[in-house]
Amino acid sequence: MTRDSAAPEVRIRDLTVVYKTPAGELPAVSGVSLTLNPGTITGVVGESGSGKSTLALSLLNAVQPPGRIAAGSVEIDGLGDVLHLGGEDLRRTRGRKVGYVFQAAQSSLNPLKTIGKQLLDLGRSHDVDDLRALVADAKALLARMGLDGARVLDSHQHELSGGMRQRVGIMLALVLNAQVVVLDEPTTALDMITQATILRIIREVHEERALTTLVITHDVGAVAEVADDLAVMYGGRVVEHGPITEVLGTPRHPYTQGLIRAIPRLSGDISLARALPGRPPTLGTLPVAGCVFRERCDKRMEICETVEPETVTHDGRTVACHAVGRPAPVKRREYA
Amino acid sequence: MITGTAITKTFKQRGNVLGKREVPALRGVDFAIPKGGAVSFIGESGCGKTTLGRIIAGLETYDSGEIVIDGTPMSSLTHRNRQPYYRRIQLIHQDPYSALNPTRTIHQTLEAPLRLRARQTGRSKSWVDVRAEELLDLVGIDPGYVLPRYPHQLSGGMRQRVVIARALTMDPEMLVADEAVSMIDVSLRLGILGLLRDLRERLGVSVLFITHDIATARYVGDEGELYVIYRGQVVERGPTETIIADPVHPYTQSLLSAIPVLHGLERPGAEQVVPTEALDEAQTDEGCLFSRRCPFSTSRCESERPVLGHDGGESGEATVQLHACFHPRRRSVIPQGVGA
Repeated sequence: MTRDSAAPEVRIRDLTVVYKTPAGELPAVSGVSLTLNPGTITGVVGESGSGKSTLALSLLNAVQPPGRIAAGSVEIDGLGDVLHLGGEDLRRTRGRKVGYVFQAAQSSLNPLKTIGKQLLDLGRSHDVDDLRALVADAKALLARMGLDGARVLDSHQHELSGGMRQRVGIMLALVLNAQVVVLDEPTTALDMITQATILRIIREVHEERALTTLVITHDVGAVAEVADDLAVMYGGRVVEHGPITEVLGTPRHPYTQGLIRAIPRLSGDISLARALPGRPPTLGTLPVAGCVFRERCDKRMEICETVEPETVTHDGRTVACHAVGRPAPVKRREYA
Repeated sequence: MITGTAITKTFKQRGNVLGKREVPALRGVDFAIPKGGAVSFIGESGCGKTTLGRIIAGLETYDSGEIVIDGTPMSSLTHRNRQPYYRRIQLIHQDPYSALNPTRTIHQTLEAPLRLRARQTGRSKSWVDVRAEELLDLVGIDPGYVLPRYPHQLSGGMRQRVVIARALTMDPEMLVADEAVSMIDVSLRLGILGLLRDLRERLGVSVLFITHDIATARYVGDEGELYVIYRGQVVERGPTETIIADPVHPYTQSLLSAIPVLHGLERPGAEQVVPTEALDEAQTDEGCLFSRRCPFSTSRCESERPVLGHDGGESGEATVQLHACFHPRRRSVIPQGVGA
């Protein structure tokens, strides 16, 4: 079993994904550029309709009709542009190079087959010669995650608890030694203690296997615990991206600020928590021009109505907001 | 005011050849929900919190125990005579997508219970439409926009507000909110929670909040009371802020330790309690129900069941923290804010 020692980098550039609707083609993801640094966990948070799941599917070039990847590229080290792969090459890539842990693992497992049979199906479809070694690897992975491998492989999905199924999903994504792993809502519908266990496992397995990991979620708390970098999505755009402690500690985009303020916390003055006014846009209600967040923004200016804010990178942090604007070194003197 | 004493409920499952399997959902639970108060039931799925909520709302029977509403024991009444009491307690469902009839406009959805209410209170028919608009105003949505629409034309947050408005048609004295925000977008959750808090403050409606998310319980009623339920038993109970800041039961501490830390904003609590994995086989009904998962368990815990009570040292306080543990100890487990 040979494995590249270095985790791959993933570069998403100007990605636009559109969905065909009666009102024409509408963008679910528009012009997103995002780099997943090798060996890091990047969390993507967004509400329903923010385009986060569509973004994740693009990493596998798996956007289904009526959706269509309209522009951009997704380059993975050692693979090239995934969006140019097709047919057999693409099928082999999924699973072998890019592992995907689906949301609601209970509905992504076959209810009629034992986990072991599904594992063998996976091995055969990827032409694994040594199926015994594959089963041994699977058992080792399950044991690593605190499960009895032999028992789990003999079980049907309904015999497993939510937390166990989620671990089976992670095992199936990793057993072919994928180095890029996408987890879509890995902790939704899990109990708190189980959630904490799964998050710990994600972090540990990520480090042990030198992966590049993408975690998609609506729950800031769930990524805060595991991620190195945080990307915040709104209306199909990445509005803020940077190291997680900085984004959470000193959020720059008004949406990120509002989202963090809206999380009830366990300590401190609870009355400081505030709901964001308005509601998240859907494909149909997205404004055509200007900033997508302006309807709910307390820093809204005239320019926000007409001009879409550019994505500006400064100090390793990326923000797309007119109110944040460009770094102004002159202002800093006031504090000197 | 509604109180319950020693409520038990056992679900009987069809078992195998060896006979029926009995699943105890509630093992003798006491509770008291004061007028205008906020009470939260916290626990993992399957702990019995939802069953208890449904029993309180009159939607589920119980095997033994007594529920007293405004001084009247429910066991003394016939099923029919209990109804006026349960009218005062309304349930808000978890899923706003399936709680509303998709073939009815919001106007029709609100009209039916309001007509009934108008008959009960001797009001005229014209009151129905006025009241429908009043209620939608109260829950913070525009009646002109919402009334003629069908549920599928509304967002999840709006639907949940309609569900709350419908619960209010019966002039309830208590709302039972079972995971009322878990299906709603994060940025909108606080709006719904704030609405429940407002209703409590403005109308004096008491709120029973059932959730697995302790921090949201704090937002609905930080001066309220918190019950931590584990496998059908209340293991810790007391003022919400006290239980969160100073929990003494290892199970409560495990729940609080499991809450993600917002790194950059918070640092983890000084001590963390991580339970050993729960495997079904390991769950026995002997001794303390948590003993098999508890990192501090002793031989006494495995043979004897602790009951809910308080330590001798702290008796005499007006609001007490009760726990069911042989080895209670305060541990600082919750994340603390950084800086500020």
